[in-house]
Amino acid sequence: MPAPRSGSQRRAIVRVLLACLLGCLGAFGLDALLFRTKMYPQLLEPDSSTGQFELTLRREKKAQSYYGDNLVVTLGDSRFGYLPRLADELTPRSGYVFRHAGMPGTDVRAWYYMLRDLDPTARRYRAVVFAVNDYMDEDWGIPEDDPRLLHYVIARLRLSDIPNFYRSFQDPALQWEAFRGSILKGLVYQTDILAFLANPMKRIRYVRLCNEGWATWTWNYVDTTRNMVGLQIDWKAWKATMPPGADQNQRDTVKNFLMYPPIARQTGHTAQFRRFWFGRIIDRYRGSPTKIIFLRLARGPIPRPDNLVHKTTSSIRELARRPNVLLVPEHAFDSLEHPELYKDAMHLNREGTERFSRMLVEEITRLLGTPQPREAAR
Amino acid sequence: MLFNTIQFFIFLAVVLALFYGSPKAVRKYILLVASYFFYGSWNPKFILLLLTLTVIDYTAGIWIERTPPGRRRKLLLICSLSANLGFLGIFKYYNFLASNVALLLGRPPNSFWFDIVLPLGISFHTFQSMSYVVDVYRGEQAAIRNPTDYALFICFFPQLVAGPIVRARDFFRDLLHWQPPTGADVSEGMFQVVLGLTKKMAFADQFAKVANEYFGHMAAHPGMVPAWTGVLAFTMQIYFDFSGYTDMAIGMAKLLGFHFPINFRRPYLAGSITEFWHRWHISLSTWLRDYLYVSLGGNRHGRWNTYRNLMLTMLLGGLWHGASWNFMIWGGYHGALLAVERAIRGNSRNSERWNWFFPLRWALTLALVMVGWVFFRAADLHQSLAILGQMFSRPSGRTLFERWQTGLIIGSLVLAILEEKLDWFERLMKAPVWAYASAMALMLFCLEVFGVIDARIPFIYFQF
Repeated sequence: MPAPRSGSQRRAIVRVLLACLLGCLGAFGLDALLFRTKMYPQLLEPDSSTGQFELTLRREKKAQSYYGDNLVVTLGDSRFGYLPRLADELTPRSGYVFRHAGMPGTDVRAWYYMLRDLDPTARRYRAVVFAVNDYMDEDWGIPEDDPRLLHYVIARLRLSDIPNFYRSFQDPALQWEAFRGSILKGLVYQTDILAFLANPMKRIRYVRLCNEGWATWTWNYVDTTRNMVGLQIDWKAWKATMPPGADQNQRDTVKNFLMYPPIARQTGHTAQFRRFWFGRIIDRYRGSPTKIIFLRLARGPIPRPDNLVHKTTSSIRELARRPNVLLVPEHAFDSLEHPELYKDAMHLNREGTERFSRMLVEEITRLLGTPQPREAAR
Repeated sequence: MLFNTIQFFIFLAVVLALFYGSPKAVRKYILLVASYFFYGSWNPKFILLLLTLTVIDYTAGIWIERTPPGRRRKLLLICSLSANLGFLGIFKYYNFLASNVALLLGRPPNSFWFDIVLPLGISFHTFQSMSYVVDVYRGEQAAIRNPTDYALFICFFPQLVAGPIVRARDFFRDLLHWQPPTGADVSEGMFQVVLGLTKKMAFADQFAKVANEYFGHMAAHPGMVPAWTGVLAFTMQIYFDFSGYTDMAIGMAKLLGFHFPINFRRPYLAGSITEFWHRWHISLSTWLRDYLYVSLGGNRHGRWNTYRNLMLTMLLGGLWHGASWNFMIWGGYHGALLAVERAIRGNSRNSERWNWFFPLRWALTLALVMVGWVFFRAADLHQSLAILGQMFSRPSGRTLFERWQTGLIIGSLVLAILEEKLDWFERLMKAPVWAYASAMALMLFCLEVFGVIDARIPFIYFQF
């Protein structure tokens, strides 16, 4: 007969289990100390997704202190191709200073976390401008299941963000990755850490260089003059004639952005996603003097016909019924939809960007009116 | 279901909960069902094979015990061993033999091949089963009457797939006189599970990346330095991989109230090949010693017979790992080194003392072991010779290690020396809660930062 466990044995086992629990908490504490403070995030590889996100955030926070009260911040993905440098040439006339906190490959979730830390009081900006591809809701695949997003926002995630954040992914594997990564950030930073450990001094020097130069480099950015002249699409035959000498990227964007196969069964998935995340942003700005503005980007060098998909809802228009939410007229930028203004099927080229930058200022100024003096609430 | 997956830890938690939540009488049935479920999660068909071997050796054990010493008893033993070796031979060595016969007949190597899938852990559980039958035959172990007990001995999930090869007397001592784990057992068990996981995911799998890169794309890394660093990466990988698995197996067994013998004792600190084999895969080397080397005559029939027995034992030990000429060469190489050492040392006991010559002996031993690993890891003999050619060429090329990987090697060497000299592991088990918790925290953090999480690199010894 096995001997019954004595009281001291039981206490010893409880002690071990307690030590294990403390060990887990200790590991979490180490993770928090390094990755939930500024300690490691300030050493992130500047060219990584997280590094770019953090550099952008730091640049825009810095900008807040010397650009006064009439700031307009814009958020969008790589298609939101305008240059603040050109927009701000019009500041004497418009009265507004435009700052761009958007990043290629991001979506509304990243913009939410960016804005939360960029504007903690929700009163810093005159307006927050979001660029979307369409006011109507169209389901096409599951665009929110982009694993890069976790890397963009990881430094901004708090423990309280975990439930909403991990559930925003559809794929269970991604949900799990997002869940565990939001708790133990070292798991997400791992590649970056190993690269850092491979040559710490080189990284530190590069981080320093980027911290000094990032704002200037992005401000002076000049786009390519390459264009899509020659692109023709026969929508009935579902056939594209590429511009002469088109490169792989141009071909891919035509295929993936303009000529992706339409999904016949619209489930309302996109609408739900946009309602939730844009809704959270608008909720943050409830009662704030900051205006929320949506604009629809030009649809491409050749717009995709509207009748390919029967779109029934517009979450953006629904949100625009709330106070302080404004819409730029849907077709305000249609005049940019020409092959000569695009460098590929998605992105404006230098001339397109220049035109768009000026049009953007005009449209936003028209919506906001001339800036009135106000107490800056920082 | 690999040990380094979340699914396995869910499985383990369920098993522990069911085991301790059930009346004592049903606990072994829970372990049995869990073990078959664990094995079946790879390929349910092989449960039948496991059951067949279990029935054969269970019956053989009883018959052998009932039969008085003599020819009949020996015949029963031979039948049992033949059945075990027969299964092993068919599943593991048939295609190897067939391809060699085909080559001898001038035909393509796959002329007589069968489409055979190697059952997981067959080398381990057949050796374990054979040792039981031999022990019963030698009168060192009473035959087990309860088929459930015997089935559990063969399929106990912590050590089913890659050992350690547990002796019947050790296993049944724990099973038949089961005692709930003590505080020290739980403490060591938990620590060993986390330590094993860290060894596997943070060390072995990181070194695997370098080793796989070198052995997979050797031509892209010409030169002596890449060759030595590539082989060193594998040297680290195989140790951390296998000892990590073993630590987890031993730790899990402790949590269930079973005590397995240690399988590794800092092998890369050995000062001779003999000592290396006293420290590396101890359960296999002692098995080979007790059931093969001793049966062949050991060192009882003169010098040359001792060398022959060492060579034969190690050759078969090499072949046990896999059906290829490379494993045979690896085994033969170690057998030859053991024989040479024996010739130099004579019958005097191998010294493990540390002295001023030790660093030299240690470096030489490690280098010899690394040369052996080339045959173990390389795809074929041709690649092995090419790598050895690079290793012993003029110094050239660059290291394949990043700085942090070099740091991991130095760090683990320091930890090994500290354990050798100061027994930090044992001290830690008796240390205050904060010290134990800090060590746990450091291991978990190491796992987080260095662990290869999603690649799910299988344990090397699962293929054997």
